[in-house]
Amino acid sequence: MADTAMISLAGVTKVFPGSDAPAVDRLTLDVAEGEVIVLVGPSGCGKTTTLKMINRLIEPTGGRITVAGDDVTAVPAHELRRRIGYVIQQIGLFPHRTIGDNIATVPRLLGWDKRRIAARVAELIELVDLEDGMQHRYPAELSGGQRQRVGVARALAADPPVMLMDEPFGAVDPIVRARLQDEFLGLQARLHKTIVLVTHDIDEAIKMGDRVAILNVGGVLEQYDAPFRILAEPANPFVEDFLGSDRGIKRLSLISIRDVELEPGPVVAATASVAEARAAMDRYGVAWVGIGGDDGSLGWVWGDDLAAEGTLADMEPRPFRIRLSGDDSLREALDTVISTHAKVAPVFDGDRFLGVLTAEGISREIVQ
Amino acid sequence: MILSQARDAFFRWDWVFDHLDDVWDKVREHLVLTGIALGVGLAIAMVLSVIALRYRRSYGPITWVTGALYAIPSLALFAFLVPITGFSVLTAEIGLVSYTLLILIRNIVAGIDGVDPAITEAALGMGYGRRRLFFEIELPLALPVIIAGLRIAAVTTIGLVTVTALIGQGGVGFFILRGLNRFFSTEIVLGTALSVLLAVTVDVALLLLERAVTPWARRRAAA
Repeated sequence: MADTAMISLAGVTKVFPGSDAPAVDRLTLDVAEGEVIVLVGPSGCGKTTTLKMINRLIEPTGGRITVAGDDVTAVPAHELRRRIGYVIQQIGLFPHRTIGDNIATVPRLLGWDKRRIAARVAELIELVDLEDGMQHRYPAELSGGQRQRVGVARALAADPPVMLMDEPFGAVDPIVRARLQDEFLGLQARLHKTIVLVTHDIDEAIKMGDRVAILNVGGVLEQYDAPFRILAEPANPFVEDFLGSDRGIKRLSLISIRDVELEPGPVVAATASVAEARAAMDRYGVAWVGIGGDDGSLGWVWGDDLAAEGTLADMEPRPFRIRLSGDDSLREALDTVISTHAKVAPVFDGDRFLGVLTAEGISREIVQ
Repeated sequence: MILSQARDAFFRWDWVFDHLDDVWDKVREHLVLTGIALGVGLAIAMVLSVIALRYRRSYGPITWVTGALYAIPSLALFAFLVPITGFSVLTAEIGLVSYTLLILIRNIVAGIDGVDPAITEAALGMGYGRRRLFFEIELPLALPVIIAGLRIAAVTTIGLVTVTALIGQGGVGFFILRGLNRFFSTEIVLGTALSVLLAVTVDVALLLLERAVTPWARRRAAA
Protein backbone atom coordinates (compact mmCIF):
# COMPACT_ATOMS: atom_id res chain seq x y z
CA MET A 1 0.00 0.00 0.00
CA ALA A 2 2.73 2.42 0.97
CA ASP A 3 4.29 2.26 -2.51
CA THR A 4 1.13 3.24 -4.33
CA ALA A 5 -0.23 5.70 -1.77
CA MET A 6 -0.79 9.15 -3.25
CA ILE A 7 -1.41 10.63 0.16
CA SER A 8 0.00 9.09 3.29
CA LEU A 9 -0.52 10.11 6.90
CA ALA A 10 1.76 8.44 9.42
CA GLY A 11 1.10 8.97 13.12
CA VAL A 12 -0.21 12.46 12.51
CA THR A 13 -1.11 14.36 15.65
CA LYS A 14 -2.44 17.85 16.22
CA VAL A 15 -2.67 19.46 19.62
CA PHE A 16 -3.95 23.01 19.42
CA PRO A 17 -2.23 25.56 21.66
CA GLY A 18 -4.00 25.85 24.99
CA SER A 19 -5.61 22.45 24.69
CA ASP A 20 -4.64 19.28 26.54
CA ALA A 21 -6.52 16.82 24.40
CA PRO A 22 -5.30 16.25 20.86
CA ALA A 23 -7.67 17.25 18.04
CA VAL A 24 -6.14 14.46 15.95
CA ASP A 25 -4.36 11.61 17.66
CA ARG A 26 -1.67 9.55 15.90
CA LEU A 27 -3.71 9.15 12.74
CA THR A 28 -2.31 6.77 10.15
CA LEU A 29 -4.08 6.49 6.84
CA ASP A 30 -3.18 5.95 3.17
CA VAL A 31 -5.03 7.14 0.11
CA ALA A 32 -4.33 5.32 -3.15
CA GLU A 33 -3.96 7.18 -6.42
CA GLY A 34 -7.29 7.88 -8.09
CA GLU A 35 -9.23 7.01 -4.96
CA VAL A 36 -11.96 9.04 -3.27
CA ILE A 37 -11.79 8.73 0.48
CA VAL A 38 -14.23 10.37 2.82
CA LEU A 39 -13.44 11.51 6.35
CA VAL A 40 -16.64 11.39 8.33
CA GLY A 41 -17.51 11.69 11.98
CA PRO A 42 -19.27 13.78 14.60
CA SER A 43 -18.18 17.37 15.24
CA GLY A 44 -14.92 17.49 17.15
CA CYS A 45 -13.60 14.37 15.43
CA GLY A 46 -10.83 16.34 13.75
CA LYS A 47 -11.88 15.60 10.18
CA THR A 48 -11.45 19.16 8.93
CA THR A 49 -8.25 19.54 10.95
CA THR A 50 -6.92 16.40 9.28
CA LEU A 51 -7.81 17.74 5.84
CA LYS A 52 -6.16 21.08 6.49
CA MET A 53 -2.97 19.41 7.70
CA ILE A 54 -2.57 17.84 4.26
CA ASN A 55 -2.24 21.27 2.61
CA ARG A 56 -0.68 22.75 5.73
CA LEU A 57 -3.36 25.31 6.47
CA ILE A 58 -2.87 23.70 9.86
CA GLU A 59 0.59 22.47 10.79
CA PRO A 60 0.69 19.09 12.56
CA THR A 61 2.38 18.85 15.93
CA GLY A 62 3.58 15.34 15.21
CA GLY A 63 3.81 12.67 12.54
CA ARG A 64 4.50 12.84 8.85
CA ILE A 65 2.37 13.54 5.79
CA THR A 66 3.47 12.78 2.25
CA VAL A 67 1.79 13.65 -1.03
CA ALA A 68 3.03 11.73 -4.09
CA GLY A 69 5.89 10.47 -1.94
CA ASP A 70 7.15 13.91 -0.94
CA ASP A 71 6.99 15.19 2.61
CA VAL A 72 4.60 18.15 2.58
CA THR A 73 7.05 20.17 4.64
CA ALA A 74 9.75 19.80 1.96
CA VAL A 75 8.45 22.76 -0.04
CA PRO A 76 7.06 26.17 1.04
CA ALA A 77 3.38 25.88 1.97
CA HIS A 78 2.15 28.14 -0.84
CA GLU A 79 3.93 26.03 -3.46
CA LEU A 80 2.48 22.84 -2.02
CA ARG A 81 -1.01 24.32 -2.05
CA ARG A 82 -0.84 25.27 -5.72
CA ARG A 83 -0.46 21.56 -6.50
CA ILE A 84 -3.47 20.55 -4.42
CA GLY A 85 -7.04 21.45 -5.38
CA TYR A 86 -9.04 22.90 -2.50
CA VAL A 87 -12.82 23.26 -2.23
CA ILE A 88 -14.56 24.51 0.92
CA GLN A 89 -18.18 24.54 1.97
CA GLN A 90 -18.62 28.30 1.66
CA ILE A 91 -16.77 27.99 -1.66
CA GLY A 92 -15.04 31.33 -1.04
CA LEU A 93 -15.21 32.68 -4.57
CA PHE A 94 -13.54 36.07 -4.92
CA PRO A 95 -16.48 38.49 -5.23
CA HIS A 96 -14.41 41.17 -6.97
CA ARG A 97 -13.32 38.87 -9.75
CA THR A 98 -15.30 37.49 -12.64
CA ILE A 99 -15.99 33.76 -12.83
CA GLY A 100 -13.29 33.43 -15.48
CA ASP A 101 -10.73 35.18 -13.27
CA ASN A 102 -11.78 33.10 -10.27
CA ILE A 103 -11.20 29.89 -12.20
CA ALA A 104 -7.86 31.27 -13.42
CA THR A 105 -6.59 31.80 -9.85
CA VAL A 106 -4.04 29.01 -9.55
CA PRO A 107 -2.81 29.16 -13.18
CA ARG A 108 -2.13 32.88 -12.57
CA LEU A 109 -0.25 32.12 -9.37
CA LEU A 110 1.76 29.58 -11.34
CA GLY A 111 2.52 32.19 -13.99
CA TRP A 112 0.86 30.57 -17.00
CA ASP A 113 0.66 32.76 -20.09
CA LYS A 114 -2.62 34.46 -20.99
CA ARG A 115 -3.53 32.27 -23.93
CA ARG A 116 -3.03 29.07 -22.00
CA ILE A 117 -5.13 30.41 -19.11
CA ALA A 118 -7.96 31.49 -21.40
CA ALA A 119 -8.02 28.09 -23.08
CA ARG A 120 -8.05 26.30 -19.74
CA VAL A 121 -10.86 28.48 -18.37
CA ALA A 122 -13.01 27.77 -21.43
CA GLU A 123 -12.31 24.07 -21.07
CA LEU A 124 -13.29 24.05 -17.38
CA ILE A 125 -16.47 26.07 -17.93
CA GLU A 126 -17.54 23.30 -20.26
CA LEU A 127 -16.28 20.51 -18.02
CA VAL A 128 -18.37 21.56 -15.03
CA ASP A 129 -21.36 22.27 -17.24
CA LEU A 130 -21.59 26.05 -16.86
CA GLU A 131 -23.12 28.18 -19.59
CA ASP A 132 -20.81 29.74 -22.11
CA GLY A 133 -20.42 33.46 -21.32
CA MET A 134 -20.63 32.77 -17.60
CA GLN A 135 -16.94 33.64 -17.23
CA HIS A 136 -17.71 37.35 -17.57
CA ARG A 137 -20.20 37.42 -14.70
CA TYR A 138 -19.45 38.08 -11.03
CA PRO A 139 -20.05 35.46 -8.27
CA ALA A 140 -22.94 37.49 -6.80
CA GLU A 141 -24.87 36.92 -10.04
CA LEU A 142 -24.79 33.12 -9.74
CA SER A 143 -27.02 30.60 -7.96
CA GLY A 144 -25.66 28.42 -5.17
CA GLY A 145 -25.33 25.41 -7.43
CA GLN A 146 -23.50 27.40 -10.09
CA ARG A 147 -21.11 28.82 -7.51
CA GLN A 148 -20.34 25.33 -6.27
CA ARG A 149 -19.49 24.26 -9.83
CA VAL A 150 -17.23 27.29 -10.21
CA GLY A 151 -15.54 26.32 -6.93
CA VAL A 152 -14.82 22.86 -8.33
CA ALA A 153 -13.63 24.29 -11.65
CA ARG A 154 -11.31 26.67 -9.80
CA ALA A 155 -9.85 23.79 -7.78
CA LEU A 156 -9.30 21.77 -10.95
CA ALA A 157 -7.76 24.64 -12.91
CA ALA A 158 -4.11 23.65 -12.75
CA ASP A 159 -5.04 19.97 -13.05
CA PRO A 160 -3.77 18.99 -9.59
CA PRO A 161 -3.47 15.25 -8.97
CA VAL A 162 -4.90 15.69 -5.47
CA MET A 163 -8.08 17.44 -4.35
CA LEU A 164 -9.16 18.30 -0.83
CA MET A 165 -12.84 19.00 -0.34
CA ASP A 166 -14.30 20.27 2.93
CA GLU A 167 -18.08 19.72 2.96
CA PRO A 168 -18.16 20.68 -0.71
CA PHE A 169 -21.91 20.13 -1.09
CA GLY A 170 -22.92 21.54 2.29
CA ALA A 171 -24.09 24.96 1.16
CA VAL A 172 -26.80 23.91 -1.31
CA ASP A 173 -30.29 22.51 -0.83
CA PRO A 174 -30.78 18.71 -0.81
CA ILE A 175 -32.08 18.43 -4.38
CA VAL A 176 -29.24 20.45 -5.85
CA ARG A 177 -26.82 18.57 -3.58
CA ALA A 178 -27.85 15.16 -4.94
CA ARG A 179 -27.43 16.44 -8.49
CA LEU A 180 -24.03 17.98 -7.79
CA GLN A 181 -22.88 14.76 -6.10
CA ASP A 182 -23.87 12.76 -9.18
CA GLU A 183 -22.18 15.25 -11.48
CA PHE A 184 -19.07 15.13 -9.38
CA LEU A 185 -18.94 11.33 -9.45
CA GLY A 186 -19.32 11.50 -13.22
CA LEU A 187 -16.47 14.00 -13.39
CA GLN A 188 -14.28 11.87 -11.13
CA ALA A 189 -14.90 8.80 -13.30
CA ARG A 190 -13.22 10.72 -16.13
CA LEU A 191 -10.52 12.58 -14.18
CA HIS A 192 -9.35 9.96 -11.64
CA LYS A 193 -8.15 12.49 -9.09
CA THR A 194 -7.02 11.44 -5.66
CA ILE A 195 -9.62 13.02 -3.42
CA VAL A 196 -10.02 13.49 0.31
CA LEU A 197 -13.53 14.67 1.12
CA VAL A 198 -14.80 15.74 4.52
CA THR A 199 -18.45 15.49 5.49
CA HIS A 200 -20.59 15.00 8.57
CA ASP A 201 -23.22 13.23 6.49
CA ILE A 202 -22.83 9.44 6.54
CA ASP A 203 -25.09 9.04 3.50
CA GLU A 204 -22.86 11.38 1.51
CA ALA A 205 -19.82 9.45 2.72
CA ILE A 206 -21.30 6.14 1.58
CA LYS A 207 -22.32 7.58 -1.76
CA MET A 208 -19.10 9.41 -2.60
CA GLY A 209 -16.34 7.35 -1.02
CA ASP A 210 -14.37 4.47 -2.48
CA ARG A 211 -13.31 4.15 1.12
CA VAL A 212 -14.69 5.84 4.21
CA ALA A 213 -12.70 6.74 7.32
CA ILE A 214 -14.90 7.01 10.36
CA LEU A 215 -13.33 9.26 12.98
CA ASN A 216 -14.27 9.57 16.61
CA VAL A 217 -13.91 12.65 18.83
CA GLY A 218 -10.24 13.46 19.31
CA GLY A 219 -9.31 12.28 15.83
CA VAL A 220 -9.36 8.56 16.55
CA LEU A 221 -9.77 6.38 13.47
CA GLU A 222 -12.48 3.83 14.25
CA GLN A 223 -12.76 2.15 10.87
CA TYR A 224 -11.36 2.71 7.39
CA ASP A 225 -12.79 0.57 4.66
CA ALA A 226 -15.05 0.39 1.62
CA PRO A 227 -18.56 1.64 2.45
CA PHE A 228 -20.05 -1.75 1.73
CA ARG A 229 -17.75 -3.48 4.16
CA ILE A 230 -18.27 -0.88 6.86
CA LEU A 231 -22.01 -1.33 6.56
CA ALA A 232 -21.71 -5.11 6.52
CA GLU A 233 -19.23 -5.35 9.38
CA PRO A 234 -19.03 -2.28 11.58
CA ALA A 235 -15.81 -2.52 13.56
CA ASN A 236 -17.29 -1.53 16.91
CA PRO A 237 -20.38 -0.13 18.64
CA PHE A 238 -19.35 3.47 17.86
CA VAL A 239 -19.33 2.80 14.12
CA GLU A 240 -22.55 0.82 14.39
CA ASP A 241 -24.18 3.70 16.20
CA PHE A 242 -22.80 6.29 13.78
CA LEU A 243 -24.12 4.37 10.78
CA GLY A 244 -27.63 4.52 12.22
CA SER A 245 -30.36 1.93 12.53
CA ASP A 246 -31.00 1.62 8.79
CA ARG A 247 -27.69 0.04 7.85
CA GLY A 248 -29.42 -2.62 5.76
CA ILE A 249 -31.24 -0.03 3.67
CA LYS A 250 -28.00 1.96 3.27
CA ARG A 251 -26.26 -1.16 1.99
CA LEU A 252 -28.99 -1.63 -0.58
CA SER A 253 -28.14 1.73 -2.09
CA LEU A 254 -24.63 0.45 -2.81
CA ILE A 255 -25.75 -2.60 -4.80
CA SER A 256 -26.71 -2.23 -8.45
CA ILE A 257 -29.53 -4.35 -9.79
CA ARG A 258 -27.23 -5.56 -12.57
CA ASP A 259 -25.05 -7.27 -9.98
CA VAL A 260 -27.75 -9.52 -8.60
CA GLU A 261 -29.61 -12.48 -9.99
CA LEU A 262 -33.15 -11.81 -11.13
CA GLU A 263 -36.11 -14.14 -10.88
CA PRO A 264 -38.37 -14.94 -13.84
CA GLY A 265 -41.38 -13.42 -12.07
CA PRO A 266 -45.12 -14.13 -12.55
CA VAL A 267 -44.70 -14.18 -16.28
CA VAL A 268 -46.01 -16.50 -18.97
CA ALA A 269 -45.88 -16.57 -22.76
CA ALA A 270 -48.79 -15.18 -24.78
CA THR A 271 -49.60 -18.71 -25.87
CA ALA A 272 -49.92 -20.01 -22.28
CA SER A 273 -53.16 -21.29 -20.80
CA VAL A 274 -55.15 -19.49 -18.10
CA ALA A 275 -54.26 -22.28 -15.69
CA GLU A 276 -50.55 -21.67 -16.24
CA ALA A 277 -51.08 -17.94 -15.68
CA ARG A 278 -52.88 -18.57 -12.38
CA ALA A 279 -50.10 -20.87 -11.25
CA ALA A 280 -47.52 -18.17 -12.00
CA MET A 281 -49.53 -15.61 -10.02
CA ASP A 282 -49.83 -17.95 -7.07
CA ARG A 283 -46.08 -18.60 -7.02
CA TYR A 284 -45.43 -14.90 -6.41
CA GLY A 285 -48.61 -14.09 -4.51
CA VAL A 286 -49.52 -11.23 -6.85
CA ALA A 287 -52.83 -10.18 -8.42
CA TRP A 288 -51.47 -9.74 -11.95
CA VAL A 289 -49.69 -11.77 -14.55
CA GLY A 290 -47.06 -10.68 -17.00
CA ILE A 291 -47.42 -11.70 -20.63
CA GLY A 292 -44.18 -11.89 -22.54
CA GLY A 293 -44.02 -10.94 -26.22
CA ASP A 294 -41.89 -12.66 -28.87
CA ASP A 295 -39.60 -9.59 -28.96
CA GLY A 296 -38.78 -9.86 -25.26
CA SER A 297 -41.21 -7.10 -24.25
CA LEU A 298 -43.63 -7.52 -21.38
CA GLY A 299 -47.17 -6.38 -20.66
CA TRP A 300 -49.50 -7.33 -17.86
CA VAL A 301 -53.15 -8.03 -17.04
CA TRP A 302 -55.12 -8.26 -13.79
CA GLY A 303 -55.79 -11.81 -12.60
CA ASP A 304 -59.48 -10.87 -12.18
CA ASP A 305 -59.75 -10.22 -15.88
CA LEU A 306 -58.65 -13.72 -16.85
CA ALA A 307 -61.28 -16.00 -18.35
CA ALA A 308 -62.23 -19.11 -16.39
CA GLU A 309 -60.31 -21.30 -18.76
CA GLY A 310 -58.72 -21.33 -22.20
CA THR A 311 -55.67 -19.35 -23.26
CA LEU A 312 -54.46 -15.77 -22.95
CA ALA A 313 -54.57 -15.25 -26.73
CA ASP A 314 -57.21 -12.50 -26.75
CA MET A 315 -56.00 -10.59 -23.70
CA GLU A 316 -54.67 -7.09 -24.31
CA PRO A 317 -51.69 -6.62 -21.99
CA ARG A 318 -50.98 -3.16 -20.55
CA PRO A 319 -47.50 -1.66 -20.58
CA PHE A 320 -45.52 -1.35 -17.34
CA ARG A 321 -45.25 2.11 -15.94
CA ILE A 322 -42.71 1.11 -13.33
CA ARG A 323 -39.46 0.11 -14.96
CA LEU A 324 -36.20 -0.38 -13.17
CA SER A 325 -32.93 -0.78 -15.01
CA GLY A 326 -29.62 -2.42 -14.20
CA ASP A 327 -28.24 1.00 -13.15
CA ASP A 328 -30.78 1.39 -10.36
CA SER A 329 -29.89 0.25 -6.87
CA LEU A 330 -31.54 -2.39 -4.75
CA ARG A 331 -32.77 0.46 -2.56
CA GLU A 332 -34.90 1.69 -5.45
CA ALA A 333 -36.02 -1.87 -6.16
CA LEU A 334 -37.13 -2.29 -2.56
CA ASP A 335 -39.00 0.99 -2.75
CA THR A 336 -40.88 -0.32 -5.79
CA VAL A 337 -41.67 -3.60 -4.06
CA ILE A 338 -43.13 -2.05 -0.97
CA SER A 339 -44.86 0.98 -2.46
CA THR A 340 -46.65 -0.36 -5.56
CA HIS A 341 -49.36 -2.89 -6.27
CA ALA A 342 -46.92 -4.87 -8.39
CA LYS A 343 -45.35 -6.29 -5.19
CA VAL A 344 -42.26 -7.21 -7.19
CA ALA A 345 -39.85 -4.94 -9.04
CA PRO A 346 -39.77 -5.57 -12.79
CA VAL A 347 -36.40 -4.88 -14.41
CA PHE A 348 -36.01 -3.89 -18.05
CA ASP A 349 -33.18 -3.25 -20.43
CA GLY A 350 -34.85 -0.68 -22.66
CA ASP A 351 -38.03 -2.54 -23.74
CA ARG A 352 -36.63 -5.96 -23.04
CA PHE A 353 -37.85 -7.59 -19.85
CA LEU A 354 -35.02 -9.07 -17.80
CA GLY A 355 -36.74 -10.41 -14.70
CA VAL A 356 -38.05 -9.30 -11.34
CA LEU A 357 -36.73 -8.67 -7.85
CA THR A 358 -38.78 -9.73 -4.85
CA ALA A 359 -38.57 -8.59 -1.24
CA GLU A 360 -37.12 -11.97 -0.31
CA GLY A 361 -34.55 -11.77 -3.09
CA ILE A 362 -33.47 -8.26 -2.04
CA SER A 363 -33.22 -9.26 1.60
CA ARG A 364 -31.12 -12.29 0.64
CA GLU A 365 -28.48 -9.98 -0.89
CA ILE A 366 -27.69 -8.33 2.43
CA VAL A 367 -28.40 -11.13 4.85
CA GLN A 368 -26.23 -13.73 3.11
CA MET B 1 -14.21 102.72 3.27
CA ILE B 2 -14.16 99.20 4.63
CA LEU B 3 -17.03 99.87 6.94
CA SER B 4 -19.10 101.39 4.18
CA GLN B 5 -18.52 98.33 2.04
CA ALA B 6 -19.71 96.12 4.82
CA ARG B 7 -22.90 98.10 5.16
CA ASP B 8 -23.64 98.02 1.47
CA ALA B 9 -25.00 94.54 1.01
CA PHE B 10 -24.78 91.15 2.62
CA PHE B 11 -23.26 89.58 -0.48
CA ARG B 12 -21.75 91.54 -3.34
CA TRP B 13 -21.41 89.55 -6.57
CA ASP B 14 -19.48 92.39 -8.22
CA TRP B 15 -16.74 92.05 -5.59
CA VAL B 16 -16.50 88.33 -6.31
CA PHE B 17 -16.24 88.91 -10.05
CA ASP B 18 -13.54 91.53 -9.49
CA HIS B 19 -11.51 89.03 -7.47
CA LEU B 20 -11.99 85.84 -9.52
CA ASP B 21 -8.23 85.29 -9.88
CA ASP B 22 -7.85 85.48 -6.13
CA VAL B 23 -10.76 83.09 -5.61
CA TRP B 24 -9.32 80.58 -8.04
CA ASP B 25 -5.88 80.75 -6.35
CA LYS B 26 -7.35 80.07 -2.93
CA VAL B 27 -9.55 77.22 -4.16
CA ARG B 28 -6.49 75.64 -5.70
CA GLU B 29 -4.50 76.13 -2.51
CA HIS B 30 -7.36 74.58 -0.56
CA LEU B 31 -7.41 71.52 -2.80
CA VAL B 32 -3.62 71.15 -2.65
CA LEU B 33 -3.59 71.34 1.16
CA THR B 34 -6.45 68.81 1.32
CA GLY B 35 -4.85 66.53 -1.26
CA ILE B 36 -1.49 66.43 0.52
CA ALA B 37 -3.19 65.82 3.87
CA LEU B 38 -5.25 62.93 2.50
CA GLY B 39 -2.39 61.44 0.49
CA VAL B 40 0.14 61.56 3.31
CA GLY B 41 -2.54 60.57 5.84
CA LEU B 42 -3.56 57.57 3.75
CA ALA B 43 0.06 56.46 3.33
CA ILE B 44 0.79 56.69 7.07
CA ALA B 45 -2.58 55.11 7.94
CA MET B 46 -1.90 52.23 5.55
CA VAL B 47 1.45 51.49 7.14
CA LEU B 48 0.04 51.71 10.67
CA SER B 49 -2.95 49.55 9.66
CA VAL B 50 -0.70 46.86 8.24
CA ILE B 51 1.23 46.88 11.51
CA ALA B 52 -2.03 46.74 13.49
CA LEU B 53 -3.34 43.85 11.37
CA ARG B 54 -0.11 41.95 11.57
CA TYR B 55 0.54 42.52 15.27
CA ARG B 56 -2.89 42.67 16.82
CA ARG B 57 -1.65 43.93 20.13
CA SER B 58 -0.41 47.15 18.50
CA TYR B 59 -3.92 48.10 17.37
CA GLY B 60 -4.87 49.40 20.83
CA PRO B 61 -1.88 51.75 21.22
CA ILE B 62 -2.17 52.92 17.60
CA THR B 63 -5.80 53.95 18.00
CA TRP B 64 -5.02 55.43 21.39
CA VAL B 65 -2.30 57.72 19.99
CA THR B 66 -4.19 58.69 16.84
CA GLY B 67 -7.31 59.16 18.96
CA ALA B 68 -5.39 61.54 21.23
CA LEU B 69 -4.19 63.49 18.18
CA TYR B 70 -7.77 63.62 16.93
CA ALA B 71 -8.95 65.02 20.26
CA ILE B 72 -6.49 67.96 20.37
CA PRO B 73 -8.29 71.19 19.43
CA SER B 74 -6.92 72.31 16.07
CA LEU B 75 -6.30 75.86 17.27
CA ALA B 76 -4.16 74.60 20.14
CA LEU B 77 -2.26 72.21 17.90
CA PHE B 78 -1.31 74.97 15.48
CA ALA B 79 -0.37 77.25 18.37
CA PHE B 80 2.02 74.58 19.67
CA LEU B 81 3.53 73.94 16.25
CA VAL B 82 4.14 77.49 15.07
CA PRO B 83 7.19 78.08 17.36
CA ILE B 84 8.74 74.91 15.91
CA THR B 85 7.75 74.82 12.26
CA GLY B 86 6.66 78.40 11.72
CA PHE B 87 3.80 79.78 9.61
CA SER B 88 4.35 77.13 6.98
CA VAL B 89 2.61 74.54 4.86
CA LEU B 90 4.42 71.98 6.99
CA THR B 91 2.72 73.25 10.15
CA ALA B 92 -0.65 73.11 8.43
CA GLU B 93 -0.08 69.61 7.08
CA ILE B 94 1.15 68.17 10.38
CA GLY B 95 -2.17 69.20 11.86
CA LEU B 96 -4.30 68.17 8.90
CA VAL B 97 -2.63 64.77 8.50
CA SER B 98 -2.95 64.07 12.23
CA TYR B 99 -6.70 64.51 12.04
CA THR B 100 -7.13 62.00 9.19
CA LEU B 101 -5.25 59.13 10.82
CA LEU B 102 -7.81 57.83 13.29
CA ILE B 103 -10.64 57.74 10.75
CA LEU B 104 -8.51 56.15 8.04
CA ILE B 105 -6.87 53.51 10.25
CA ARG B 106 -10.22 52.49 11.75
CA ASN B 107 -11.74 52.05 8.32
CA ILE B 108 -8.79 50.25 6.78
CA VAL B 109 -8.60 47.77 9.67
CA ALA B 110 -12.39 47.32 9.75
CA GLY B 111 -12.45 46.89 5.97
CA ILE B 112 -9.78 44.20 5.96
CA ASP B 113 -11.28 42.49 9.02
CA GLY B 114 -14.64 42.52 7.26
CA VAL B 115 -13.42 40.35 4.40
CA ASP B 116 -15.23 37.00 4.59
CA PRO B 117 -12.84 34.50 6.26
CA ALA B 118 -13.98 31.86 3.75
CA ILE B 119 -12.49 34.02 0.99
CA THR B 120 -9.11 34.34 2.70
CA GLU B 121 -9.13 30.64 3.54
CA ALA B 122 -9.84 29.74 -0.08
CA ALA B 123 -7.09 32.11 -1.23
CA LEU B 124 -4.52 30.70 1.19
CA GLY B 125 -5.62 27.15 0.37
CA MET B 126 -4.95 27.76 -3.30
CA GLY B 127 -1.45 29.04 -2.65
CA TYR B 128 -1.65 32.79 -2.14
CA GLY B 129 1.23 34.26 -0.17
CA ARG B 130 0.56 36.85 2.55
CA ARG B 131 1.57 39.83 0.44
CA ARG B 132 -0.44 38.91 -2.65
CA LEU B 133 -3.39 38.02 -0.45
CA PHE B 134 -3.29 41.52 1.01
CA PHE B 135 -2.91 43.45 -2.23
CA GLU B 136 -4.96 41.28 -4.59
CA ILE B 137 -7.76 40.03 -2.36
CA GLU B 138 -8.10 41.80 0.99
CA LEU B 139 -7.40 45.37 -0.09
CA PRO B 140 -9.72 45.38 -3.13
CA LEU B 141 -12.52 43.84 -1.07
CA ALA B 142 -11.98 46.39 1.72
CA LEU B 143 -12.12 49.33 -0.73
CA PRO B 144 -15.76 50.28 -0.11
CA VAL B 145 -15.09 50.63 3.64
CA ILE B 146 -11.71 52.34 3.10
CA ILE B 147 -13.20 54.85 0.67
CA ALA B 148 -16.06 55.49 3.09
CA GLY B 149 -13.37 56.47 5.62
CA LEU B 150 -11.59 58.56 3.03
CA ARG B 151 -14.81 60.48 2.37
CA ILE B 152 -15.26 61.33 6.04
CA ALA B 153 -11.58 62.30 6.31
CA ALA B 154 -11.84 64.46 3.18
CA VAL B 155 -14.90 66.37 4.38
CA THR B 156 -13.31 66.87 7.80
CA THR B 157 -10.02 68.03 6.29
CA ILE B 158 -11.65 70.49 3.89
CA GLY B 159 -13.40 72.14 6.82
CA LEU B 160 -10.22 72.12 8.87
CA VAL B 161 -8.11 73.72 6.14
CA THR B 162 -10.00 76.98 6.68
CA VAL B 163 -8.63 77.08 10.23
CA THR B 164 -5.06 77.05 8.89
CA ALA B 165 -5.76 80.57 7.59
CA LEU B 166 -4.65 81.58 11.08
CA ILE B 167 -1.12 80.42 10.29
CA GLY B 168 -1.01 82.02 6.87
CA GLN B 169 -2.35 79.08 4.87
CA GLY B 170 -6.01 78.27 4.74
CA GLY B 171 -7.20 78.15 1.11
CA VAL B 172 -10.63 79.69 1.00
CA GLY B 173 -10.39 80.15 4.78
CA PHE B 174 -8.32 83.21 3.86
CA PHE B 175 -11.54 84.99 2.79
CA ILE B 176 -13.31 84.05 5.99
CA LEU B 177 -10.49 85.35 8.17
CA ARG B 178 -10.05 88.58 6.19
CA GLY B 179 -13.80 89.09 6.08
CA LEU B 180 -13.92 88.79 9.85
CA ASN B 181 -11.09 91.28 10.26
CA ARG B 182 -12.71 93.77 7.90
CA PHE B 183 -16.32 93.14 8.90
CA PHE B 184 -16.95 92.32 5.25
CA SER B 185 -19.72 89.77 5.01
CA THR B 186 -19.24 89.01 1.33
CA GLU B 187 -15.85 87.46 2.01
CA ILE B 188 -17.10 85.46 4.98
CA VAL B 189 -20.02 84.08 3.00
CA LEU B 190 -17.82 83.41 -0.02
CA GLY B 191 -15.21 81.50 1.99
CA THR B 192 -17.84 79.49 3.80
CA ALA B 193 -19.79 78.67 0.64
CA LEU B 194 -16.66 77.66 -1.25
CA SER B 195 -15.52 75.42 1.60
CA VAL B 196 -18.91 73.68 1.73
CA LEU B 197 -19.02 73.41 -2.03
CA LEU B 198 -15.54 71.87 -2.11
CA ALA B 199 -16.50 69.37 0.60
CA VAL B 200 -19.63 68.28 -1.24
CA THR B 201 -17.82 68.06 -4.58
CA VAL B 202 -14.94 65.99 -3.21
CA ASP B 203 -17.38 63.75 -1.34
CA VAL B 204 -19.36 63.07 -4.50
CA ALA B 205 -16.16 62.56 -6.49
CA LEU B 206 -14.97 59.93 -4.00
CA LEU B 207 -18.36 58.24 -4.09
CA LEU B 208 -18.09 58.00 -7.87
CA LEU B 209 -14.53 56.69 -7.49
CA GLU B 210 -15.81 53.97 -5.17
CA ARG B 211 -18.47 52.97 -7.72
CA ALA B 212 -15.85 52.89 -10.45
CA VAL B 213 -13.39 50.67 -8.57
CA THR B 214 -15.99 48.24 -7.17
CA PRO B 215 -18.04 47.20 -10.21
CA TRP B 216 -18.74 43.80 -8.66
CA ALA B 217 -20.62 45.29 -5.72
CA ARG B 218 -23.56 46.50 -7.78
CA ARG B 219 -24.25 43.32 -9.73
CA ARG B 220 -26.63 40.92 -8.12
CA ALA B 221 -28.31 37.76 -9.23
CA ALA B 222 -31.53 38.44 -11.08
CA ALA B 223 -33.18 35.44 -9.45
